[in-house]
Amino acid sequence: MTNALTCANLSKSYGGVAAVRDVGFTIAPGEAYGLLGPNGAGKTTTISMLVGLLKPDAGTVVVGGADLSADPMAAKAKIGYVPQEIALYPDLTGRENLRFFCRLFGLPRREVRGRVAEVLDMVGLADRADAKLDTYSGGMKRRINIGAALLHRPELLILDEPTVGVDPQSRKSILDGLERLVADGMALLYTSHYMEEVERICHRVAIIDHGSIVAEGTRHELVELVGGADRIELTLDGDVETALAKLRGLGGVTEAVRTAAGSIRLIAEGGRYLLPSVISTVDGIAAVTAVEVVEPDLEATFLHLTGSTLRD
Amino acid sequence: MLRSLLTVSALELRTRVRDRTALIIAIIVPVAMATLFGVALGGDDPPLRATIGMVDLDGGEFPAGVRREVLASTELEGVLTLRDLPGREQAQSALDAGDIGAAIIFPAGFSDSVGAGEGGQVGVLTSADTPLAGVVANAVVDRISSLVRARTLAVRASLDAGVPAAEVKEFVERNGAAGPALTLENDPMAGGRVDLSVYYGAGMAALFAFFVVGASFRGLLIERKQGTLDRMRAGPIHGWVPIAGKAVVGFVLAMVSVCVTWASSVLIFGSTWGDPVAVFTLLLAHVLAATAITMLVASRARTDAQADGVIMVISFVAAFFGGSLVPLYTLPDLLQQIALFTPNAWTTTGLTGLAGSGAGLASVALPIGVLCAIAAAAFGLAATGFRKGLLG
Ligand SMILES: Nc1ncnc2c1ncn2[C@@H]1O[C@H](COP(=O)(O)OP(=O)(O)O)[C@@H](O)[C@H]1O
Ligand SMILES: [Mg+2]
Repeated sequence: MTNALTCANLSKSYGGVAAVRDVGFTIAPGEAYGLLGPNGAGKTTTISMLVGLLKPDAGTVVVGGADLSADPMAAKAKIGYVPQEIALYPDLTGRENLRFFCRLFGLPRREVRGRVAEVLDMVGLADRADAKLDTYSGGMKRRINIGAALLHRPELLILDEPTVGVDPQSRKSILDGLERLVADGMALLYTSHYMEEVERICHRVAIIDHGSIVAEGTRHELVELVGGADRIELTLDGDVETALAKLRGLGGVTEAVRTAAGSIRLIAEGGRYLLPSVISTVDGIAAVTAVEVVEPDLEATFLHLTGSTLRD
Repeated sequence: MLRSLLTVSALELRTRVRDRTALIIAIIVPVAMATLFGVALGGDDPPLRATIGMVDLDGGEFPAGVRREVLASTELEGVLTLRDLPGREQAQSALDAGDIGAAIIFPAGFSDSVGAGEGGQVGVLTSADTPLAGVVANAVVDRISSLVRARTLAVRASLDAGVPAAEVKEFVERNGAAGPALTLENDPMAGGRVDLSVYYGAGMAALFAFFVVGASFRGLLIERKQGTLDRMRAGPIHGWVPIAGKAVVGFVLAMVSVCVTWASSVLIFGSTWGDPVAVFTLLLAHVLAATAITMLVASRARTDAQADGVIMVISFVAAFFGGSLVPLYTLPDLLQQIALFTPNAWTTTGLTGLAGSGAGLASVALPIGVLCAIAAAAFGLAATGFRKGLLG
């Protein structure tokens, strides 16, 4: 069976500085694939090369059997692209925006009206379809931004951080919608720096940092990389820097980073049993105001692999 | 692909039509400006009446000849009136008061001096308020001057040949060596009249074509900023579709703008721009060049604001050096050379040429050719610019 997407050896640098280095992965039909990485990791640059907006310095992209550089029309017809920013006309209504892109992408005239109505239903905006886009809330704009990428029934939907700056309710509705699309057989490339979203939606995940993919696999496979370690989240009141230095020296702790002003994240072998020594280590340096032991997750994997956090 | 292009064009047209300022710039402003310039400088309807002061300190045959000619000409009857004034100062104050539009001054002894082969100088007073009367007065003096030159030459030659000084005047006149007798026609006035209203109409058309077509390319850069351009480019369409779709609308609107300016000049002033096919083709070539030049700017600009500014500067520089704002012949030689690089100069010169003559398309082949060459060069540069930037 032809893959929904195969890319290999993708590289791009800006003025000698590499933004993406030798990135490659495949997405099977109907598979939801996540690209997880912090800001500046190279997610947008990678996606721009996949959708033909940016010429790679090196590498190949094949979409559903069509080579992007040899047959861009065929390749692009199979992709629905959801840009990171809202990319629609603010002074047109939602319906007018969708109608425009239907026509632009060559949908048969008699299908346009029906398809627009269908997509408006899918993104739950049928009742606001005839209001101008600049009267929409942030979440509604995000939803129609996704809808515009679905008009031509792509086989692969590529989304660039579609939930950035969205309220929790809209986020839930976006993720629910995407799950429905995947259930209906659409392949997904989902990029985010939110671990929970990627964990929830994606079958497989690639972790990207500084332009390179550092690990790839199912959630289970990735978490295995951390071994039997747990993640410990500490909130402290006092001399956090000294506490951090002390904790780094504690036996069993493999990683220790500061995540916010008064917060420390530890990866520790058998973390839950180590808790008493963690607390006694910081005793007298800082008061522990909250502590949480979390079973290994992608956040822990990311820290384990890169020594840094997904969000800064 | 054509359908995609028309879809882009339809949206662009809709945006432009909804945008009142764009409409005003495309239609109302050029017509208003051309009318304003036309009324201030070239108004001819009702037909021009010029009163020219005549200061005759000579009393000889030349001033008498001018008077005779003006009275005898049926074409000048009711159009050109002479008013005798005793001296230069009186002429100046009559001019300042607006009683006369210009004055011709024959110095004492003028006719005698010319008769003796020593030449002579006729003075002219003009006023910026009445440029057309000035044109007429200067035309009259030009005629006199060429007559004076011919007469002076003949007298000198006769003297050299040994004709006694006392008889030379009669000798020259008897032998018809004085050149043609002084005649006046109204064609210099007709020329001045056609030139100014057509001239400024053409200038405004040439200038505003840049703004009108430029607005569409500005729209292209706005689409880049708002991300819709990337969304289009990520879809299954050719990368040139959004650019071409905008360009077509800019081009058509600019054609509408120049044609409305042309039509209003004909309707308001009753001016004749000449052979319509030739005028239309010339305007078409100009708009093509303006499209290519503004496209070139858009292909290199980083933001829509930057493109806007650059197009504004280029439009006015081209308009100034190309004679759209001040007549070309009033500029120094060097600037007239620079003018040859602007589409405006070729367009304005071509259009005034057509208006002044009954000539057709063939007579403007050169300006049309140059405009197309400018367009081709700019389109070529724009294409490489887009490939490196917007479509890179
Ligand atoms: N147009 C550009 N010019 C120069 N550097 C860029 C450009 N676009 C992205 N970068 C750099 O490339 C790296 C990857 O950026 P990006 O792909 O946007 O990351 P992400 O989408 O994961 O946040 C960053 O370091 C960014 O600064
Ligand atoms: Mg990004």
